[in-house]
Amino acid sequence: MMDAEERELFAKGIQHATASRSGADLDAALADLGWKDALATDPATTVATLFEHQGAAATTSSALDVVLADALQVDLDGSTGMLLPPLGSTAPPAALVDGVLSVRGLSTSGLATRARALVVSDDAGGTTAHVVDVASLDVRSVRGIDPGLGLVEVTGTAVPHVDAVAATEGWPGAVAAGQRALAHELVGVSRTMLRLAREHALDRVQFDRPIAGFQAVRHRLAESFVAIEAADAAAGAACDDGTPLTAALAKAVAGRSARTVARHAQQVLAGIGFTTEHPLHLSIRRALVLDHLLGASRSLTGSLGADLLRDRRLPNLLPL
Amino acid sequence: MDLAEFRAALDLWLDEHDAELAPGAGETMDEEMAHLATVKRLAFDAGWMRWGWPERVGGLGGSTLLRGYLGEALTARGLVEPGLYSLTEVLAPTMIDYARPELAAEMVPRLLRGDETWCQGFSEPGTGSNLAALACAATRVDDGWSVSGQKVWTSLAQYAQRCVLLTRTGGPDSAHRGITALFVDMDSPGITVRPIETMHGREEFCEVFFDDVLVPGDRTLGGEGQGWAVAMDLLPFERSTALWHRGAHLHRSLETLLQAADPGTLRPDEVGEAFQQLFALRARSRATQHRMAAGDRLGPETSVDKILLATLEQQVFDLALDGLTDEVLLGDDPDAERWRSRYLYSRSATIYGGSAEIQRNIVARRLLDLGPDR
Repeated sequence: MMDAEERELFAKGIQHATASRSGADLDAALADLGWKDALATDPATTVATLFEHQGAAATTSSALDVVLADALQVDLDGSTGMLLPPLGSTAPPAALVDGVLSVRGLSTSGLATRARALVVSDDAGGTTAHVVDVASLDVRSVRGIDPGLGLVEVTGTAVPHVDAVAATEGWPGAVAAGQRALAHELVGVSRTMLRLAREHALDRVQFDRPIAGFQAVRHRLAESFVAIEAADAAAGAACDDGTPLTAALAKAVAGRSARTVARHAQQVLAGIGFTTEHPLHLSIRRALVLDHLLGASRSLTGSLGADLLRDRRLPNLLPL
Repeated sequence: MDLAEFRAALDLWLDEHDAELAPGAGETMDEEMAHLATVKRLAFDAGWMRWGWPERVGGLGGSTLLRGYLGEALTARGLVEPGLYSLTEVLAPTMIDYARPELAAEMVPRLLRGDETWCQGFSEPGTGSNLAALACAATRVDDGWSVSGQKVWTSLAQYAQRCVLLTRTGGPDSAHRGITALFVDMDSPGITVRPIETMHGREEFCEVFFDDVLVPGDRTLGGEGQGWAVAMDLLPFERSTALWHRGAHLHRSLETLLQAADPGTLRPDEVGEAFQQLFALRARSRATQHRMAAGDRLGPETSVDKILLATLEQQVFDLALDGLTDEVLLGDDPDAERWRSRYLYSRSATIYGGSAEIQRNIVARRLLDLGPDR
């Protein structure tokens, strides 16, 4: 565990790095900050700090790869990337049938510069983690609604592979770790949207007063604040709890919250927030895609509800 | 005693005494109040109700988390109704902080043990959200105060032996500076209580009339003119431990609903969202409980907890109307009456204890620093 002083120092370093860098450049800065050691000693604080700042700055790194691999107990070296499930899915991004590996998933832009990728597959006996050569995969860069995120779409059939971890039970744990990280990142994205809307509301004068004086505007901002605080509390509690169930809860709450904040912030920022001359659109784009990585709030909510209706029992979570 | 130890021992005691603690079949307010007093007395005499309260008011000391867990356990098992039970969590801290030490030592144990019920005289016909405009007047007399005026929405006043009352002691324009809090005996001559029947079929709150009611000077809470501070310190308690208990109640209500509703009547996405929001509320409220236990001063940030609670309460009982439509709309057996009553009560969640609009105003002004709204 970090003490208060170490936490503050770490947060300052992360804030500085995420504010000015992205991609491989940010990966290098994070390595200098020793974030992987921090992840080992104090995962909750490290994930919360790094991903919230990354979201707030709408920047990118390959930290999510490391978080997933770490949960699989694989140490990703600098030349290995990690494959994520396709958009909206939490299933492993590959299937192993009769020894033949086929791949369909997403990864961060860093994959193009890596020699190898860690790929988890579904097979008859469970899930297995494999190392494959990136050259054997079809890697297509995705622009889509958020070009800045630099996602790549990865496919491959009959991909040559070696088993990295013979048979891992760890996939649900890896998804959960990723969902917690993304929940914090969505909180960061949301905080930036609210900050931009708040600043605008205080600066923009109409009818001889700042529009922050109008209750309709104030209540949109208050609503956004409440949504963010709820998502933040849920993400923190999911880190304390550590189970896949609470990770999915936190991810869904954060995704829904980010969409609420996006709606209110865009309305408060009105015309200027609809242009590319103002940075709001960057955060809105990021929120939409992050909400759909490792399970979308909508599908997570529906499947949770179906489980609860089937079990007719509610789990008792978060003891005082 | 630490929380883990307390939890284990209390759970065991609750298992063993389930029969004595269980509510009877009766559903009237009188029966419910009598049952609440029984539960508090049994829990006090066994020591549970005393943990988390200072020794100088009859408590046994220890973290405030202990009383957080006690209320949660009683609520989760359906042994108490959190709205009635948690008034203790709101009024006892006020007495501890502002009453003369001897008065607090004499009175607080009676509240904890269920020997007495107390009420909170804040709102007036002309003063709801704008508390600083209250008019109920206290004027100096020889050995204390003479109070004349009216309060409304005073919960449980018809059962109460005492009232924490806000009065106007400054001039008409003294606003929040001219308010003084008094601890008033409800059997004082000149007090008239008229219960108001609510939409959910209960006489839960009252109008209270004060006609030259004499209140001794040593019943002043804090000093003259400190009533605003008393109120501002009290209100966050409405949104901390009391909310933690209410969250446990919503958990129980949602689970009971899943068991009672016909399959196919509830939409999975709506059930899923309600449980996710319950998790978020619990996470937030749990953090508030831990801050309180660490000695932090609670303030406007508790409005976030209240907004989450109020929104969720209506969400859960909207689901109850979907899942138990016949019971809520047409049923007349006790079970249906209970669901109907709770559905209707949930409509007030965005009104009582500071309306949804007031809570958002607090967030905008105090937490987002948006400046004045006019």
